[in-house]
Amino acid sequence: METAPGVRIRDLTVVYNTPMGELPAVSGVDLTLTPGTITGVVGESGSGKSTLALSLLNAVQPPGRISGGSVEIDGLGDVVRLRGEELRQARGRKVGYVFQAAQNSLNPLKTIGKQLLDLGRSHDVADPRALVRDAKDLLARMGLDGARVLDSHQHELSGGMRQRVGIMLALVLNAKVVVLDEPTTALDMITQATILRIIREVHEERALTTLVITHDVGAVAEVADALAVMYGGRIVEHGPIADVLGAPAHPYTQGLIRAIPRLSGDISQARALPGRPPTLGTLPAAGCVFRERCALRMEICETVEPAPVTCGGRTVACHAAGHSLAPVKRKEYV
Amino acid sequence: MITGTAVTKTFRQRGNVLGRREVPALRGVDFTIGKGGAVSFIGESGCGKTTLGRIIAGLETYDSGEIVIDGTPMSGLSHRRRQPYFRRIQLIHQDPYSALNPTRTIHQTLEAPLRLRARQAGRPRSWGDVRAEELLALVGLDPGYVLPRYPHQLSGGMRQRVVIARALTMDPEMLVADEAVSMIDVSLRLGVLALLKDLRERLGVSVLFITHDIATARYIGDGGELYVIYRGQVVERGATETIINEPVHPYTQSLLSATPVLHGLERPGPERVVPTEALDEGKADAGCLFARRCPFSTSRCEAETPVLGHDGGTGQLHACFHPRRRSVVPLETA
Repeated sequence: METAPGVRIRDLTVVYNTPMGELPAVSGVDLTLTPGTITGVVGESGSGKSTLALSLLNAVQPPGRISGGSVEIDGLGDVVRLRGEELRQARGRKVGYVFQAAQNSLNPLKTIGKQLLDLGRSHDVADPRALVRDAKDLLARMGLDGARVLDSHQHELSGGMRQRVGIMLALVLNAKVVVLDEPTTALDMITQATILRIIREVHEERALTTLVITHDVGAVAEVADALAVMYGGRIVEHGPIADVLGAPAHPYTQGLIRAIPRLSGDISQARALPGRPPTLGTLPAAGCVFRERCALRMEICETVEPAPVTCGGRTVACHAAGHSLAPVKRKEYV
Repeated sequence: MITGTAVTKTFRQRGNVLGRREVPALRGVDFTIGKGGAVSFIGESGCGKTTLGRIIAGLETYDSGEIVIDGTPMSGLSHRRRQPYFRRIQLIHQDPYSALNPTRTIHQTLEAPLRLRARQAGRPRSWGDVRAEELLALVGLDPGYVLPRYPHQLSGGMRQRVVIARALTMDPEMLVADEAVSMIDVSLRLGVLALLKDLRERLGVSVLFITHDIATARYIGDGGELYVIYRGQVVERGATETIINEPVHPYTQSLLSATPVLHGLERPGPERVVPTEALDEGKADAGCLFARRCPFSTSRCEAETPVLGHDGGTGQLHACFHPRRRSVVPLETA
């Protein structure tokens, strides 16, 4: 079987053009997706997680643009440098993308089968019959009646079924890197559990490298091997999921985990994080982006942005996280 | 105090040649919400929990049954006569982004209902401004910051607090919060839940909390009661902590089992229950409505209809022929 490709994001910066000038939604992000693993990226609204996901397809829409860095995918090269036809072929064939609210990304006027054939045509699939067969197999694998689904319009399918159609469309061209943007948002608990199980099983069977973007730590905790926590366009903590959840090192991760409504645990220990998530306009230009809401704030946090430091498989970007201070390069956004 | 007895509601879709389609949303629901109490309705989408909430808030009619508010049956009253009762019950919508008029400042949003209240009570107009500041302070916002701003300038959590402040302008006895935190960033959810708890404790406002996420129901304060609703019927009802920790109905157990496990902090409950098939409202029903999806159903379940009771000596009410406690919720790891 083909081995899963690795993905290496290096110093990626994505800026949005606003009336206040170009502001970074993602700044200087380094993230490595180990081949064959599921990496979860959690962040609140405005953390840059969806922008990061779109960068894997080099699909950031104006007024946004990738202003620096690289996204290396094995067998494909640097996605940021791909243009035109090369890029179009990479999307779908190499990198599958399940869009946020898959229910809204389907064409309401065409049956799922027609949309599948459109996909085949735009990627010059030689044998449409084989494509339909693969699609039916995938749908059956996910517990659906393939023939019935392909004959349906999107309004005839439930939310969970549409989400599975989204996953089928992302995988049917045999993409080995899959990005899922909020795959369980707006789904019920039981449907969510089913979709998460399917994601995990399909990931293993097809030897994929998977990235799951979500605001819901719970959803990702169930499936991911590694967890990256985003805040204000930076990855503030990254490591094996049980380590990050069991012993969070960054004050934001700690606060976030304490703030999750849970079925177990002492409810008197739970509390919301003070303050509000930053937006593009309110991000501080220098220093740590989390300091406004941080209980461990120190003088150095005002002026110096903490650099990510890796130790024992865990990467943390915090002055207070108990590692020695490394020299930090100030990033310029040109 | 508000009580409901055998409340039913059926939605009728306009017919075609094949006849009308009838969708039973509520199949005879009893409920009691005491003064200062906290009641949570839990269930999948389409179970009827939102319809019931809207009926209780006076925004939806019901087909049969009776609703009694403070000793007065509503069925005998004209629409006009009911209004003063239902004004004391205010609905908080799921989506704070669409619940506020984007072209009005928060001051303008709060001013209109307060002017009405001032006129009713024969107070001067300036009372409204003072009251607006009081209410914003009560919901934990800085009036000086919030009043001149437009909704888009506030975070999701702040917007939901404004919506709650607006509901409080009517001096309600009860707040109906329909998925009130599901669209708010995770780090801020507990803040809004703590506010609802606080309003109960300080003002004696009762809270009807409608959600698909059972964990959030733990956070609206002591003495809460949980109703698990499945396809328009209450299948289990009792103290919140009892239902979460000692559920006896397999449907409640499936919902709780579907809650994601935070690996590293928690381990899965040993007896997790997974429904044998997906929800399909189209199929005919006889006996227990959950029997077809239930891993423990017997021939009796398909022939007879269970009614809500204490069979088997359980503390909570349940509608199951084979009640059995199962350990399904995630357990905290030491």
